[in-house]
Amino acid sequence: MKKYLKTALILFVICAAAALLLAVFNSVTAPKISAYEAEQKTAALKNVSGGASIGEYVIVPEGSMVNGYYTLDNGGYILNLTANGYGGSILLVASYSADGILSAAQVISNSETPGLGKKSEESWYMDKFIGKGQNMPIRKTSLSDSDAQAVSGASMTFTGISKALLAGSNFVATLDGGKN
Amino acid sequence: MNIKELTKGLFKENPTFIIMLGMCPTLGVTTQVINALGMGAGVLFVLFFSNILISALKNIIPNSIRIPCYIVIIASFVTIVEMVLHAFAPSIYSALGVYLPLIVVNCIILGRAEAFANKNSIVDSALDAIGMGVGFTMSLTLIALIREVFGSGTITLFAIGNFNGVLKIPVLYQWPVRVISLAAGALLLMGYLKAFFQWFSEKKKGVAK
Repeated sequence: MKKYLKTALILFVICAAAALLLAVFNSVTAPKISAYEAEQKTAALKNVSGGASIGEYVIVPEGSMVNGYYTLDNGGYILNLTANGYGGSILLVASYSADGILSAAQVISNSETPGLGKKSEESWYMDKFIGKGQNMPIRKTSLSDSDAQAVSGASMTFTGISKALLAGSNFVATLDGGKN
Repeated sequence: MNIKELTKGLFKENPTFIIMLGMCPTLGVTTQVINALGMGAGVLFVLFFSNILISALKNIIPNSIRIPCYIVIIASFVTIVEMVLHAFAPSIYSALGVYLPLIVVNCIILGRAEAFANKNSIVDSALDAIGMGVGFTMSLTLIALIREVFGSGTITLFAIGNFNGVLKIPVLYQWPVRVISLAAGALLLMGYLKAFFQWFSEKKKGVAK
């Protein structure tokens, strides 16, 4: 009995020391991390807005992939989208014109494989989607040969992102339907 | 103190090519040189501190609960590395992505704790950690270099000033052998390199006799 108590006590002390150490590091790094994330999000929004001023954020309650949207003063929208990638959710911001044509998009956070799905973070990745609405390429066969490097080894990422962008386009179409 | 503990991880007991530890990150992260360097540095850091701490606690930790204790210690160091990188070097943090938390279950670290640190002195454990960590980084960088040069025709390093960190190799950049940068290429290359190192060490042994 005594032996078990001693063993449990040792494990408890080690865990408590580890938790204390982590708490100290967390208190130092947490504000920096959240500041960095907020900064990245603002930068991404500014990037996709194309110079238009960004209005209030509206949360979409039960959107499948659309989390919420901002209205732009040029009549367009910026959508906050969640895509299903290979390594979990991919968060992205995408701006659409009022008729649902994609004008810019950027990945904010992801856990995709470095060197494969992680390429979706790069600026050229979204080129094949820009200027498209309902005709968004959601299958890899609908892409040209030159896009092969975006998709090879990362078709899950591609499918996830393109489905989210298509959902965004559909969502924008319903928004305008309500307005007219 | 034994200097052999330091050098054995580099070639004679190289974690990747000879004792075949840590294959999962080796195959996954070696698509770009910078990822290999970052992963190697992370493993080196965690291995160094976990080996020292486990060696220091080897007489306190009861044998029956040693694995949970090691995991707690290793996971704490990995989480610290993760938080510090996220706060102070976000570009490396986002480049390593999912592989950073995977260091927790990287068998090099648990393997060295189990096979070395819990039997040897603190100094020897620290030397072992440095040797193994540097050996792991070297092998990772070698694999990444070959895969990136042939698979994408680039060498990605740190971006400094005007240099964006990407070297392009003329012919291979236009016509890369794409399969080498995919998972199948990693396995093939790993097999060839393992065969090469096997041949090399056999040859060396033959000369010694």
